[in-house]
Amino acid sequence: MVAEGLIGIDGRGIDPGVLDGKAVLVVNVASRCGLTPQYEGLERLQERYGPAGFTVLGVPCNQFAGQEPGTPEEIQQFCSTTYGASFPLTEKLEVNGRHRHALYERLTAVPDADGQAGEVEWNFEKFLISPAGEVVARFRPAVEPEDAEVIGAIERVLR
Amino acid sequence: MTVVPVTVSATEVRLGDRLRARSGAELTVTRIDTEFMGRADMLAFVEDSEEQWFKMPALRDGDVELIGRDDAVD
Repeated sequence: MVAEGLIGIDGRGIDPGVLDGKAVLVVNVASRCGLTPQYEGLERLQERYGPAGFTVLGVPCNQFAGQEPGTPEEIQQFCSTTYGASFPLTEKLEVNGRHRHALYERLTAVPDADGQAGEVEWNFEKFLISPAGEVVARFRPAVEPEDAEVIGAIERVLR
Repeated sequence: MTVVPVTVSATEVRLGDRLRARSGAELTVTRIDTEFMGRADMLAFVEDSEEQWFKMPALRDGDVELIGRDDAVD
């Protein structure tokens, strides 16, 4: 369900088995942002909860100050070389605006903890999808991947 | 439309202005957010058009590169 219509950074369709039936933390990522070091926390979440049926899904996006300008190969190499990221990445997507991807049509309808839905605010906004495919939480970019709020939400959906 | 790039204060930017981000990307401002990520000392310039959706934040007391302005609205 989550994987439907998603193309990976390698240009191939994402295998549904990689995402469906798992808790998925969808994060729009960028390589040249002040928040880019959040990759470290995202990878630690992947290592800690991956075996329990969780995955991070990175979504490269260049809509925020042009901070993800690279080619798919450059993005993939940056993530794996600089941060050792082992979680899947999609192709570069639009997360806001009239041409936003269908996945983000669904995600941005969900409010954050303050009740605010709508546009993705900046790089590294996080949405948690339950194994049943329901969008259960939204965390704004300043919320670190290993914040207690995020950890608590992940553990609740994995119970 | 003014085409010579000039540096202007972020607070002088108007709807319709064409800006260039540090990345080299360009946008035509269709919306100005009065804060950015909860910071009242920052603004965010947004283009939300058929061509693109693009956001560029700036310090309220900082400068931005203006690359086009419709003089007809002066």
